[in-house]
Amino acid sequence: MLLSVFSMFLQQIINGLTVGSVYALIALGYTMVYGILGLINFAHGEIYMIGAYLGVIFFGIFTALGLTATNLPLSIVLTFLLAIVYSSAYGYTIERVAYRPLRHAPRLSPLITALGISIFLQNYVMLSQGAKDKVFPSLISGGVSIGNATVSYLQLIIMLTSLILMTALHFFITKTRLGTAMRATAQDKKMASLLGINVDSVISATFVIGSGLAAAGGVMIAMHYGLINFYMGYVAGLKAFTAAVLGGIGNIPGAMFGGILLGLVESFGAGYISAEYKDVFAFAILILVLIFKPSGLLGESLQEKV
Amino acid sequence: MPKVSYWKVISALTLTVFVFLGCKKGGEPVSDVIKIGTAGPMTGDQSAFGQDQQNGVRLAVEEWNMKGGVLGKKIELLVGDDQHDPKQAVSVANKMVNDGIAGMVGHFNSSCSLPASRIYNEQKIPMITHGSTNPQLTEQNFKGVFRVCGRDDQQGRKAAEFVIDSMKAKSVAILHDKTTYGQGLADEFRKGVEGKVKVTYHGGITQGDKDFSAVLTNVKTGNPDLIYFGGIYPEGGLLVKQARALGIKAPLMGGDGVISEEFLNIAGSDAEGTYVTFAPDVNNIPSAKGFVDTYTRKYGKPGPYSVYAYVAANVLLQGIKDSNSTEGEKISEAVHKMKYEGALGTIEFDDKGDVKVSPYVIWQVKGGKWEQITK
Repeated sequence: MLLSVFSMFLQQIINGLTVGSVYALIALGYTMVYGILGLINFAHGEIYMIGAYLGVIFFGIFTALGLTATNLPLSIVLTFLLAIVYSSAYGYTIERVAYRPLRHAPRLSPLITALGISIFLQNYVMLSQGAKDKVFPSLISGGVSIGNATVSYLQLIIMLTSLILMTALHFFITKTRLGTAMRATAQDKKMASLLGINVDSVISATFVIGSGLAAAGGVMIAMHYGLINFYMGYVAGLKAFTAAVLGGIGNIPGAMFGGILLGLVESFGAGYISAEYKDVFAFAILILVLIFKPSGLLGESLQEKV
Repeated sequence: MPKVSYWKVISALTLTVFVFLGCKKGGEPVSDVIKIGTAGPMTGDQSAFGQDQQNGVRLAVEEWNMKGGVLGKKIELLVGDDQHDPKQAVSVANKMVNDGIAGMVGHFNSSCSLPASRIYNEQKIPMITHGSTNPQLTEQNFKGVFRVCGRDDQQGRKAAEFVIDSMKAKSVAILHDKTTYGQGLADEFRKGVEGKVKVTYHGGITQGDKDFSAVLTNVKTGNPDLIYFGGIYPEGGLLVKQARALGIKAPLMGGDGVISEEFLNIAGSDAEGTYVTFAPDVNNIPSAKGFVDTYTRKYGKPGPYSVYAYVAANVLLQGIKDSNSTEGEKISEAVHKMKYEGALGTIEFDDKGDVKVSPYVIWQVKGGKWEQITK
């Protein structure tokens, strides 16, 4: 009995970490853009959805070319990379077309534009890909058993890939020149440009990286659940936004932490209290944090900006 | 003189045209066509059911029109998309009423049919659903509400009998999607097994959600012999897939909302062994052969509800013909009296608007295909 209680606990942690690491990947895009532009990019959830669709499309192309049959791991890796690159191009284009012309407009204009882009992308995918659900074939089955709990190989891949991507991002932000330029732009756009930083290209880079991370999450979710549709970005975007606010919006480690925390809260809430109120737990914790610590759980580092 | 740009003139003209068009509609409907409507989840995650419905109704309308229509007029079909959203269903129903339909085939989801039925009832417009199985729908004492499918109390009872007598299951976990249909069906199933089989878990999930691992982990600790699911195929497919990934061996059993080709696509090889309660296989009904052949030629293989939509449309048009009228009350009266011979055999309605005979049978996924396994 004790063993089964423990393995259920363990299983809920595994479930929560899987979902949470994807939330964290998407939340990073929200938080990076907010840190630099002060803009909540509501179209970000759609990039995640587009990433998932591109994953299905590229994988379909590889299957048609026969690569899937001969070399499955290679085709998965290529699908993954191509989807990320292509989605980054979407992120770049959105910034270039929809946000850059409004750089000096009142704050509300780009926010409304973001909502417009989000609606546009959803309908664009619905019209071009159809309203029906798309099915991603299940490629990797099986898993590891720990007692009575199971970790599927896909869950392991999701957690590991997210961890690698987040570590890479951390080193990119703290150690490279472009990363330093990003931090400088986040602190003071005008000062950064006076010091010779090309602010526009830094902003573009932010969108490209954020979109790439979201697309990585999208492809992994498509593989994991095997079912995608054109409106999947809406709820995922909302949850990731919650995660970013939880951790303190604008704060990169905060977004990672917030994503994982949100995944765990959902998983434990649904498992131990009631699955009917799964989404309620996610948003209830958001309200609590906003009441008691409006700057988010890791929000202190915002002080730097002042 | 102020400058007037072209786009302002053009948009002003466009708007005026719309206003005039609107006026014409408000006048006395002098039309040489008889309009009937069909509404269901035409887009969104349940669009597979919606498309089957639309094709079935369209086929019926085309066949009648080839024979010269009804009451000497051509039949025009209006299609409404309720996206299985009750709020949307109400606005579709209002629009259909304004457009002057003589009758409605649909809606599909019980949660949509229930609120929509009130709107049709106010105008006495008959409504024949092909797929809404929630008992409540025909318990409202509406004279114009009919269904050509069965009811969930019959369906839940059949499922419970099968689980107790044939599977000899000792314990079940019950999940539902919190909709009128899903929760209603799960409750009926529970009534049937209560006291005879141990219920290890009973709870709801959210329609449209993709991750059910948390609730399934909970189900797993109860170690049930069967998971019963009241809901529709997208969640059903994901549930069985994620249950297998968590190492749950118990088969899934669902209601008529799960039987669909899409379920097999979503769940892949994990679909194997899943049970559902549904009506007998259309391919084995001799009277349906003509329908299956024509439908397959036009739209491909019929979905589980195509034939029901086809029959519902035929019943409605027959009602218009029998009553020699497009008045709702007269059509409903004719449908109540009708003994319709068609693709599903003989159909008669009782006082509530339910079909008199509605045999549910058990189907199972075998070798990647749905197969009827009981008589």
